[in-house]
Amino acid sequence: MTALDLVGLSFGALRERKMRSGLTVLMVIIGVALMTSINGLGGGMNNFITEQLGTLGANVLIVTPSNMLGGMQQSGMQTKLTAQTVRTIERIQGVKYVIPFFAGAGTLKSGGETKTVSVLGIDQSKLVHITPKITLESGSYVSLGDSSGMLLGYSIAHPSNLNKPFAVTGQTVSIEFSIVEIQGGVEKLVLKRKAFLVRGVASELGTQDVDSMVSVSLAQANAMFAKGGVYDGIYVITNGPDDNDRVEAGITKVYGKNIGVMSPKAIASTIQDVMGTFIGFLSAIGAVSMFVGAVGIITTLYTSVMERTREIGLLKAIGYTRETVLLMFLTESFAIGLLGATLGLIFGVVGAYVLIGVMPLGFGQEISISPWFSVPDLVQVFLLACGLSVLAGLYPAWRASTMNPITALKKE
Amino acid sequence: MSGDGFAIETVDLKKTYLMGLVKVYALRGVSLKIRHGEVVSIVGPSGSGKSTLLNMLGALDTPTSGKILIDGRDIAHLGERSLAKFRNKKIGFIFQSYNLIDRSKVTKNVELPAIVAGMPKKTRDKRVHELLDLVGLGDKADRRPNALSGGEQQRVAIARALINDPAFILADEPTGNLDSKTGEEIQNLLIRVNHEKNATIVIVTHNVELAERTGRILHLRDGAVEKERVGIFSQGQVRESGWDVMAEGRS
Repeated sequence: MTALDLVGLSFGALRERKMRSGLTVLMVIIGVALMTSINGLGGGMNNFITEQLGTLGANVLIVTPSNMLGGMQQSGMQTKLTAQTVRTIERIQGVKYVIPFFAGAGTLKSGGETKTVSVLGIDQSKLVHITPKITLESGSYVSLGDSSGMLLGYSIAHPSNLNKPFAVTGQTVSIEFSIVEIQGGVEKLVLKRKAFLVRGVASELGTQDVDSMVSVSLAQANAMFAKGGVYDGIYVITNGPDDNDRVEAGITKVYGKNIGVMSPKAIASTIQDVMGTFIGFLSAIGAVSMFVGAVGIITTLYTSVMERTREIGLLKAIGYTRETVLLMFLTESFAIGLLGATLGLIFGVVGAYVLIGVMPLGFGQEISISPWFSVPDLVQVFLLACGLSVLAGLYPAWRASTMNPITALKKE
Repeated sequence: MSGDGFAIETVDLKKTYLMGLVKVYALRGVSLKIRHGEVVSIVGPSGSGKSTLLNMLGALDTPTSGKILIDGRDIAHLGERSLAKFRNKKIGFIFQSYNLIDRSKVTKNVELPAIVAGMPKKTRDKRVHELLDLVGLGDKADRRPNALSGGEQQRVAIARALINDPAFILADEPTGNLDSKTGEEIQNLLIRVNHEKNATIVIVTHNVELAERTGRILHLRDGAVEKERVGIFSQGQVRESGWDVMAEGRS
């Protein structure tokens, strides 16, 4: 008996029960597609995170007022980051630059258009130490004493939804923001507005954080957001990546656990841990659905064996051995697995693009993540589906192969 | 000498099995000899052991004790694989309910035993069409069994039984599901196969007319050959006959 004969016999049997075979293939497709989509999604997110943090220099540490890890505050205490903090950190061995910043948010207006933006107040002459790849598309950086200059990130100046620039160098824009003020003895949220002159536009960096930010001078941010000289964070540039651990230890030695020190590497691994847990959870669902598919194959083939008892009896009577009958049914389950896995991979790849479109991954921000598929992962899912299918076919096939031909032929 | 010159020989064939707690004696020591090219019918009441005997001769079942010599070779204690090969090459089965696969075309049904025998596709196709011509279904090769009448389905089954050119045809009630006219056509076809292929044919039947047309009738009762009638069989007619009582067959 040739392999072709075997395939012919098995496919004939599958075709006879088109609906049932089709539904079983669908079960396999769902499992494989789910696994593939999730893999692609996880790969895409990992790439995104690596890319985002990749533009930060390797010798950059970020100091924050409290020790946050994975979004949870680790200690109840906070450290006020002031000029004194800057001076203290500057004295730690291995530190090259200490660059404090203020952060705020507002609505930017230019012409008839508006845009929600993050505002960074920082000494712009030092931006190059934080993101070494930064260059200007036009204009210049905002100087230290400039109280009305603004630098626009690339995607602020060139939004994807407009076919003309949002604003250009030399143009006036205004920003609306709210701060808490004490009026008549009580705190109140007050809406403020301030006009700025666009001094320059940064070139595209490919990093969402930097590209979608506007930047003003340190002093101006301090004044407009009423920060009172308390920084939102401090970038610490070390002499080199090898000094990161030493500097981090030096800062922790002074402030204990009441301050946050993170390196991009740590941030990446923290985010990737959180993402990993999320993707792992989704993968578990995918794996379960693959097992459900396998159970579907068992059910379908077992029912088929029961319905075809007389046929199996006949085959054995006319000289089909146990092995041949076993192989016939295993070929059926393998065919279901092969078809399901192939279609599942295709639907999975398409599904990943659909999923990434509908999932709120940017948490309100406009971000673009592309699914990313690793060939070994795809091969693994494919082989797993085919392997599981054959495994699922084993019991029904074994039942068929061990049937007594006389009893089988007598079945009504 | 056992097996000398005989196509089939059984020696004191016994089969017992348990049905619940009751021991059933299906065969109580059957000894018989069948020559090459003979057409033998096995008759007897239900439960007399006819089908059990046929299953043993067809290597579908193994005896509790005794010997089954087919062409001088004892098949009673062969392994599963050898038995399957033996059935495939040496035996053609015909069943009362045809046992055709409805989803497959007539041609596919006929070639099933040849597929597992490893016959090349070209040879297979040629044989299938020759046999369909022989059984008179040359024009219905591409039909499915459920589009055929009962008699036509049994013809397909006969073609299937002949595909590997077996030395033995074992038929279990081949006319049991057919009306008398169609039954007669199938009888004629079997007799023709015996003539043209020189196959040894053993038929289990309740059909007296069919039994009368075979050269030899074995009458089974309670798992033993009760009596036997041998006729001089020639050109489809039994010319001379008489019953012999086989007392020694019982145990």
